Amino acid sequence: MTAARLAGTLTLRARERGLLVGALALGALGLAAVHLALYPQDSWRPIVVGTVALAGFLVVHAALCASGHGADEVLLPVAAGLSAVGLVMVYRLRPDYLVRQAGWIALGLVALLVVLGTLRDLRWVRRYAYLFAVLGLMLLLATVLVGVERNGARQWLLLGGVAVEPGEVVKLLLVAFFAGVLTDARGLLTLPGPRRWRAEVGRLGPMLLCCVGALLLLVFQRDLGLAMLYYGIFIAMLYVATGRGDYVVLGLAAFLVGAAVCYHLFGHVRVRVDVWANPWASASTGGYQILQGLYGLATGGVVGTGLGAGHPDLMPAAYTDMIFPAIGEELGAAGTFCVVALYLLLIGRMFRIAARAPGAFESLIAAGLATALGLQAFIILGGSTRLIPLTGIPAPFLTYGGSAAVSNFVALGLLLGVSRRPPAAAEVRGAPAHR
Amino acid sequence: MLRRIANLGRLLAGLFVVLLVYLAGVQVIWGPRLADTAQNPRLAITAQQVQWGRILDRHLAVLTDSTTQDGRQVRRYAAGSSLAHLLGYRSARYGLSGLEARYDPELLGLPARDPWEALLEAAGRPPRGNDLVLTIDSAVQRAAVQVLDGARGAVVALDPRTGAVLALASAPGFDPASIDAAWSVLSRDPGAPLLDRATSGEYAPGSSFKPIVLAAALERGRVTQQTEVNCAASITVQGAVIRNFEHEQYGMMTVPQAFAVSCNVAFVQIGLATGADAILGAARSFGLGRAPRFDLPAASGHLPDSGTLGPRGLAQISFGQGSLLVTPLQMALVAGTIANRGVLMRPFVLSQVRTSDGRILESYAERGTQVVLPPAINAEIAQDMVEVVARGTGTAAQIPGVAVAGKTGTAENPDGPTHAWFIAFAPADHPTVAVAVVLEHAGVGGQAAAPAARRVLVAALAAQAAEAAHP
Repeated sequence: MTAARLAGTLTLRARERGLLVGALALGALGLAAVHLALYPQDSWRPIVVGTVALAGFLVVHAALCASGHGADEVLLPVAAGLSAVGLVMVYRLRPDYLVRQAGWIALGLVALLVVLGTLRDLRWVRRYAYLFAVLGLMLLLATVLVGVERNGARQWLLLGGVAVEPGEVVKLLLVAFFAGVLTDARGLLTLPGPRRWRAEVGRLGPMLLCCVGALLLLVFQRDLGLAMLYYGIFIAMLYVATGRGDYVVLGLAAFLVGAAVCYHLFGHVRVRVDVWANPWASASTGGYQILQGLYGLATGGVVGTGLGAGHPDLMPAAYTDMIFPAIGEELGAAGTFCVVALYLLLIGRMFRIAARAPGAFESLIAAGLATALGLQAFIILGGSTRLIPLTGIPAPFLTYGGSAAVSNFVALGLLLGVSRRPPAAAEVRGAPAHR
Repeated sequence: MLRRIANLGRLLAGLFVVLLVYLAGVQVIWGPRLADTAQNPRLAITAQQVQWGRILDRHLAVLTDSTTQDGRQVRRYAAGSSLAHLLGYRSARYGLSGLEARYDPELLGLPARDPWEALLEAAGRPPRGNDLVLTIDSAVQRAAVQVLDGARGAVVALDPRTGAVLALASAPGFDPASIDAAWSVLSRDPGAPLLDRATSGEYAPGSSFKPIVLAAALERGRVTQQTEVNCAASITVQGAVIRNFEHEQYGMMTVPQAFAVSCNVAFVQIGLATGADAILGAARSFGLGRAPRFDLPAASGHLPDSGTLGPRGLAQISFGQGSLLVTPLQMALVAGTIANRGVLMRPFVLSQVRTSDGRILESYAERGTQVVLPPAINAEIAQDMVEVVARGTGTAAQIPGVAVAGKTGTAENPDGPTHAWFIAFAPADHPTVAVAVVLEHAGVGGQAAAPAARRVLVAALAAQAAEAAHP
């Protein structure tokens, strides 16, 4: 370990520490503000629990310091900031869920540490790519067969009394599967002539099959947000691996055709789109939720009503699907812009990691995870504000929920792992690792 | 692959930039308007937490205040439905109308511009809205409502010296206290009781438009008070025969005489000599053809385009027909302008905003002026209007001991019998009240509308005398 390298990682980690402390202070102050405004008579214990959970980010930070690898220094603080805002909003909207969400964050951080500690080398993942696909499809199938419905559309698997959203786990499995297959096949897929056709049938075939299978399962169980997300990941990774414009055009065309078919075939798809196009036509029924979200955003204006001073409780599912408009009502455009800025930072960093990854497989998996988190955030942020039709999926790190927390922190752990410089490359920080 | 990763990253970042722009629109640019839509339940929640301000007349008599009913705040109205269109309703289901809608922020005390009020609220007093003091005189309003009893039409009375509205009545009306229960009936009633005819009812003015034609002719020098015109039984313009209203013919007479008997044939000649541009220009400067700036939404009426008017069209607007449309508020302003030496006073109905304990936050004596006519020409028109009441078609508006100036109108319309108009002001030498009355399908202006205007004038003069005696 040279002195230059040591100095480099130290600066990285010092910067990370500063940002983390800021994010944690934001969370602690927010929780205290909500407590004083709404529940001044209640016990302070939940706030302490929440703050302790957020302090878990510092444990991860310590682990990164100890490992000595120059992992990206912005990812963790951004996730901490989003988690802090999410925790504050959960306390404001569902105080009874604060301790549970704190637990989910802690569990997610543990998962992150496990991933960081054990998955130092991702190459083995490649070998089991097809296994991941089968596992993912089985999880989805199991949800269709024995899943239980909670909160309307979302399907859950009961595993020993704990409700798990398999969709969030399948998201990671699909990224691993696509990355594995595409790393092997990308050379073949850009060849001219019959060898490419064979590769297309042999390699793309299973991917397509898996994708269509997942989509069908999701459409039947009404999880349109996840269906959109999976398909987006598929197209994005195909593009990154092969650079084939015709695949992208074909993929988007297929999406449009599929969407049109679903619109005509399924009542629940039609309702979603119609409500989006004109929520005022069904202001007291289907359009109620999205309209309340819009009124909340508008009422918030530039600086918001202040935590506890608005009426985000008028929005159905405020603490899950409508968390973003709820932030918009009480923290205003100042709050929503900050959240979007955090996601922009996250996306920028994730794609930077993908671009600088040591190998093609790592690059693909990082790009896939970046697409998964970024697209997922856009689908729900855009959906809950009526930029696009609303489909309920959790906003990464922000929305209440255990399965999402664990999956997203695992993804974060994988990305942090990929961003670690092998000693040789880290000597000259900032130099491109490969071309 | 590096380039493609960067492209993908840019695409996703681009999506979020679109989201940012969209959010700026929803939250910042259209935010206030969207948040203020009546369907936003937050408004009703906020409104229920505030003690609503009261609305008072010019003598501080309460017109509406609120009381608690089943744990909710509701309005009660001292004069029942008499001021329904002006005050408006305050309904959880159908939102707000009238002054309730226009001055909702003031009534809820929302712009917390008063630091003292903010301090009291911080000290635990439930927030109270501000009171509105109107220029309305309840006695004049009562008279206006009485003359409209059982009819369809509108009455506007104002003080021509300031533009302060003394009475604003529209019939048929409704009970604002029971708007929720009656809504389905009211909104489907063919008599359109929810429509405020005083500000938004658009009618052909008929002969009550002649003061404007006369003003244009005098200003252009096409006629003088001494000019003689032939009031024949009919005149033919481009093949169209125009007759006097009751086929009367008087032969040669001076312009004031033709004005007093409201001779259409004579005014067609005056109009043809004056030209469409001059007449429509005068109408525009009197405020016709555009919505007056007022405390309530007001209709614009309609003036034809002078370019498309042929001689026949010009002949028709010369006695107030054709495609001309005016509102009672606009015609009250025409009377008020002539009463006020040719100066138009912008109409207003809010005179003060006060805190609940009576401290004045805003106060208005007048809201703006605009010169319409030179005083000399205005004086001639005013004199001719005195003749209308003294010896012409408006004798039914005479008040003993008071010189009244007026002009009748009998407006033909496609829906049935003629609308009766009367515009007037009094006392003629130093006018303190101007009035416009329209009664739908009530027949001849001089017979139906003039007596009604007279009762409103009497009430207004009495009220002003009482106010002068006990200020």
